[in-house]
Amino acid sequence: MLTVRALTKIYANRFDAQAGGVRDVSFDLPTGTFFTLLGPSGCGKTTTLRCIAGLERPDQGRIAVGERVLWDSDAGIAVPMNQRGIGMVFQSYAIWPHMTVFENIAFPLRVAKDRRYGRDDISRMVDEALSTVGLSGYGERPATRLSGGQQQRVALARAIVHRPQLLLLDEPLSNLDAALREEMRIELRRLQQQIGVTTIYVTHDQAEALAMSDRIAVMDSGRVVQLDEPRAIYFRPASEFVASFIGAANLLTGVSSGAVAAGEVGAIQTGEGENIGCLFPSGGQAGGKVTVAIRPESIVLSPDGAGAVDGSNLLRGTVSAASFLGGSARYDVQVGSRVVRVVASAEHVVPAGTAVGLVFSPQAAVVLGA
Amino acid sequence: MSASSTVAERAQAARPAPWLNWLRQDPRRLIAFLVGIVLTVLMVPPLWMLVLDSVTTQDAIGEITGFTFGHFAKLGTEKNALISLWNSLVFAAGSTVLSLLLGGVLAWLVERTNAPLKVLAYLATIISMGTPYILHVIAWLFLLGKVGPLNDAYRMVTGSPDALFNVNSMAGMVLIEGFLWSPLVFLLLGATFRAANADMEEAARMSGATVYDTLRRISLPLAMPAILALALFVFIRAIGGFEVPALVGMPARIYVLTTDVYQATIVVPPDLGYAAAFSIVMVLIVVVLLYFYGRLSKSAEKYHSVTGKGYRPRPFDLGRGRWIAGAVIIVNFMIVLVLPLITLLWMALLPFVQGFSTKALATLSLHNFTTVFTQAGYFELAVNSLAVAAGAATAIMVITAFAGWIAARGGPGGRILDQLATLSLVFPGICLGVAVMEVYLRVPLPIYGSLWIIAIAYVIRYMPYGMRYVYSGVLQLHKELEEAAGVAGAGSMTTLRRVIVPLLTPALVAGWLFIFLIASKELAIAVLLASPTSKVIAVAIFDQWVNGQGGELAAFGLVWTVLMTVIACVFFAQMRRGGSDVYGN
Repeated sequence: MLTVRALTKIYANRFDAQAGGVRDVSFDLPTGTFFTLLGPSGCGKTTTLRCIAGLERPDQGRIAVGERVLWDSDAGIAVPMNQRGIGMVFQSYAIWPHMTVFENIAFPLRVAKDRRYGRDDISRMVDEALSTVGLSGYGERPATRLSGGQQQRVALARAIVHRPQLLLLDEPLSNLDAALREEMRIELRRLQQQIGVTTIYVTHDQAEALAMSDRIAVMDSGRVVQLDEPRAIYFRPASEFVASFIGAANLLTGVSSGAVAAGEVGAIQTGEGENIGCLFPSGGQAGGKVTVAIRPESIVLSPDGAGAVDGSNLLRGTVSAASFLGGSARYDVQVGSRVVRVVASAEHVVPAGTAVGLVFSPQAAVVLGA
Repeated sequence: MSASSTVAERAQAARPAPWLNWLRQDPRRLIAFLVGIVLTVLMVPPLWMLVLDSVTTQDAIGEITGFTFGHFAKLGTEKNALISLWNSLVFAAGSTVLSLLLGGVLAWLVERTNAPLKVLAYLATIISMGTPYILHVIAWLFLLGKVGPLNDAYRMVTGSPDALFNVNSMAGMVLIEGFLWSPLVFLLLGATFRAANADMEEAARMSGATVYDTLRRISLPLAMPAILALALFVFIRAIGGFEVPALVGMPARIYVLTTDVYQATIVVPPDLGYAAAFSIVMVLIVVVLLYFYGRLSKSAEKYHSVTGKGYRPRPFDLGRGRWIAGAVIIVNFMIVLVLPLITLLWMALLPFVQGFSTKALATLSLHNFTTVFTQAGYFELAVNSLAVAAGAATAIMVITAFAGWIAARGGPGGRILDQLATLSLVFPGICLGVAVMEVYLRVPLPIYGSLWIIAIAYVIRYMPYGMRYVYSGVLQLHKELEEAAGVAGAGSMTTLRRVIVPLLTPALVAGWLFIFLIASKELAIAVLLASPTSKVIAVAIFDQWVNGQGGELAAFGLVWTVLMTVIACVFFAQMRRGGSDVYGN
């Protein structure tokens, strides 16, 4: 169980606009959670990670693993990084080139202060870690003779060999090529579930985050803007920033037609006079200005406007551009003065210039928070 | 039929000569050829002459009268030669260890920890870059000398009439030479520590290691190839060092290889064969050491790793040790900068050299400074030194801009150009002095005894440094920048002029300033080549010290140091802007 409370770290000396720091970040993670900090570069995700690791001193806040407080600015507690018992994989892997693979992985055991490991213990635990990451038999290899993917696995083995309570991963896949990245994504998730260690993963790649995580915190300008499960982050974005950062959402603006209770469906009227039924996750008042996010793949393209069953929304427009993407087709549809993007099955191609109806359910049109 | 034949004839007529065609295929060939000739003419004759002198007997006017191994035999049979060799090794090893210790600790504290007062370390380094070594040596001779404050204090405390420390000893030589090299060690190791991937250390800390463990098991082993390479570099320079052996060792009859060569050259008649044989021995030692240096540098490169995003370097937190570290920095600042400068100022303000005392305060005057600023000789000396250093630096950067570019890009003859340009690395300064003197005594050019010969010797001596700056500067430029110019239609020459040189300017300027700075304080080469009418600053100071004109020397030295410090500041500002860390290693 990891608790982070009101973590704040502001850089007094700004070298560039991106080094913004972290403001008032809080979250609780049950043991075994795969938790991802997601956001564009400079959003504070790495700073948050480094504060937890002890590589950075927060200005304020409290960090605890279970009952053990690692950092508390009010109580004046600051456990040095080497006594926190955390495993970490660096973006550059930081494999020490003057040691063999075995020695790299054995290092945390050799320098451990709380208990002494015997030669047999070390050898057994390192072999175990090596086989966990699928590198059995690589122990005697010099660290300089490893491929990028292998270095990554060694870094992972080194981070888990002393069975930490917390595993920190700082964009570990960003230095791998695309195919290997896909493979390691699945591999990392499998490993994490096998060991059951609470894991914090930092990335700017939303596909990675959605595929691997139990929970995701989307960060922007040093703050957590939404913390939820991957599906909720994707289908119920809390803000325009989240909606557009996680895939390209269509954003429509309008005015709420009546008061709506939280979690209910209500109607809005857009600037072009259409009435759309939408989901109000946190309710709304009559006459309130709202922004609605609709995922391109939630919209069904219906040439004659048919298929609009009771209660679903129908907008009419003209296809202005169509592109074939193999598995799917992408359309830009001119609806009044706006362009709405639709991703549809590629089986039937709708040529540009066709008049079409756009059909989507009110559940797919989510009203965003302010 | 006739139409086609005229076309063929026209083509025949238009086809250029084969050699021109060869050039057109790659215009860099012409540059490589021309630069190659210049480099050959400059770099090869000194080495050839040294070899020739060492194995021949010659008559009074330098005509070769026969071949002999007598000079080398003399080295083996004369006991002094072996003692000098031994002294050289002890001297170089001792001062290398000392300077690595002083400079290395300082570099680590400044670059990788949160020690206070770091600015003092940089200040001391910048000013020492601008100070002729010989001034430092003189200041330390005084400080540790018989009438100096150290022995004065000892006599006062103990009441003993003897001195605590005899500076004119091997210990004194090692101490002073070690002080001399520590700023360079600081600079080069500092660059190593700065460039080190901080993730490596953080990964160790995250694995549970303490600061001490991390230092011992990660930081030091990772820096070890660089440290060893630097140790060899300093050792090579100390073997060829002249200032300290000449000023500190010779008065006590402690001779090393360089002072032996010097002695053999200045006796009448000069024993050039013996000096040449001695030089060959030194060159061979240096060649062997350079071979290992090259291998070490390569293994240092092997330690490069994947780098992540460039997070700002995180210094170690020393806790309370911070203030001890601060004290270390202050002590170093005193040793490298404050004490020598105060000493020089004291010497400059007194009519004759004497120890620190209140009695002497009454005789303080600016007389020496007045002399320096009013006597035409000093002004001329300064202008000479600046002109020679600037001329040599300019010539080197022009030659190496071409040679370095071709070598770094694997152009035609690149390897040969590289080897030619770095050939003079094998010469200790004094040996190069002997060799250049020999070459230009025989060349029917009226440059012997003029400033030209000193300038040529500098060009030969510092060519490798220029090469180094240009070479690594070019490697930092992405090759696609050049290829893009080529695709856009530019020829090799246009690419060089419009793309390479402008982008390379920071490296060229940094290289120029670096060469200018070291050339303007060079003593070992110039001491044999200077004549009474063509002196440079270090030689003049050397002569004045020998003649006992300590006051004027100190005054002039201080004025010169101020001037050079300004230039050194420009150099460091340029390095910071250019963002490259290629000093003379």
